[in-house]
Amino acid sequence: MSDLETLVRQAIAAEASQAVEPAAVLAGLQRGVRPRRRPTTALVAMVGLAVVAGVVAVAVPLTAARTRSDAGNTAPPAAAEQNILLVGMDGYDNTDSLVLARMGASGTLRAVSLPRDSAVDIPGHGVDRLNSAYRTAKAANHGSDTAGAEGLVATVEALTGVRIDHYAVLDMSGLDRLGTAVGGVEVCLRAASHDTITGADFPAGRQVLSGPALLNFVRQRHGLPNNDLDRIVRQQAVLRALAAKLADPAVHARLDTLVAVVRADIRTDPGLDLAGTLRRLASSTSVQAATIPVGTDPAAETRGMLAVDPAAVRAFVGDFLAAPPSAPATPSPGDVSCVN
Amino acid sequence: VPDGFDQFVADRLDRLLRYATALTCDRYLAQDIVQNVLLRAQSRWARIGEMDAPYLYVKRMVTNEYLSWRRRAAARDVASTHGTLDALGTPVGDHAVRHAERDAMRHRIAALPRRQRAAIVLRYYENCSDAEIAAVLGCTEGTVRSHISRALRRLRATQDPTRRSTSRPVSEVL
Repeated sequence: MSDLETLVRQAIAAEASQAVEPAAVLAGLQRGVRPRRRPTTALVAMVGLAVVAGVVAVAVPLTAARTRSDAGNTAPPAAAEQNILLVGMDGYDNTDSLVLARMGASGTLRAVSLPRDSAVDIPGHGVDRLNSAYRTAKAANHGSDTAGAEGLVATVEALTGVRIDHYAVLDMSGLDRLGTAVGGVEVCLRAASHDTITGADFPAGRQVLSGPALLNFVRQRHGLPNNDLDRIVRQQAVLRALAAKLADPAVHARLDTLVAVVRADIRTDPGLDLAGTLRRLASSTSVQAATIPVGTDPAAETRGMLAVDPAAVRAFVGDFLAAPPSAPATPSPGDVSCVN
Repeated sequence: VPDGFDQFVADRLDRLLRYATALTCDRYLAQDIVQNVLLRAQSRWARIGEMDAPYLYVKRMVTNEYLSWRRRAAARDVASTHGTLDALGTPVGDHAVRHAERDAMRHRIAALPRRQRAAIVLRYYENCSDAEIAAVLGCTEGTVRSHISRALRRLRATQDPTRRSTSRPVSEVL
């Protein structure tokens, strides 16, 4: 055998040694589920910050497995079903993007956006803006980020009646890098916008955003007709576009690399299988997203907060997360709907 | 589920995954392909299990699934990915030099046309004869020899250390 052939043999053996553990496939065989690498229609159809927040948030932040003895609110989810609170945070402990996601056992993903300006009862603190729950709990516990996240989780649990198994806190600046890493995401604006805070200008129409521009896009609320609610829609649009990118086999096949990219921004608990979770999210077969009902009447606002009826939110979230997978609401894959 | 299938999986799954990984140069694509194929094979096991060489048949299914994999990005991208993963991953150590040549070859193999790559993986990893490779690829033995000689020529021609792939920015790769 020639030297070349010997080298070829060694190289192929090295490649083969990268194979995944057989257990990963055995689990799939036992479930009888075919892997779906291209969840196109479902993903494109999702409406809600969520999902990708899933992707983003999980890719990015700290996902700490929480062990809790107090079941508290609702019954625990069935095996393999997980409720995850995805938190997008700015650099000042404000949780500007909150998504409660349920990863179902059969590859479904349901996600509910929680507007940051919702007026909620923060346990041990009183009624305040939802995005202050983290900061409040952190301040009350000697600046502990863990305490901040736990406080936020408790607040969301109290608000929605859903027990949260995990949380993931994402520094929103990670979105900058993630967007760049996937080659940019396409969004569409109904009208040109100007952000008086950041000075960011975006033209009307379709555009591909990445890097700092993408970050400015998802952070803007000043200069938009509906303030934070428009921002949520922007985040949802970006997350949807990002999810579509992740579903692209060319990108999907590089999830490991992607994880490596965002790892730099991440704090995770050592037990978290980041790549595995990311894959699971990106290959969800059914994705549904929504936003909790909030009062949008400016007259009903208190200190700039959105009025929230806890009973209505509980009912909405309970029904939404428990509903069976339904047909995608948006029919055409690849469609980029325009936002404010 | 027939016992025969479970036994087949127990005996062959690891080997199939390794083969598929060598074939695709992508462990997760390999995982999906193997899982898909085994699910299909399971539903037809009564027939497949009766064959003289069930493993060869399933291997053929895996190979065909890969060869027909639609929307698959160009192999060049796969090679780049390895470069990036290496750059992002393991720190350069003493054995880096020792492995450099082998890894460079991995990249070149990943850049081969699919059928050529399948032929050399079957030859040099699965130790198949020309006839077996022809059976898996569904072509003549002459074509198999042609695939292998072309692949080797190509691998030799590009075996130039000065042109070893350098890591590119992640954004380019993704």
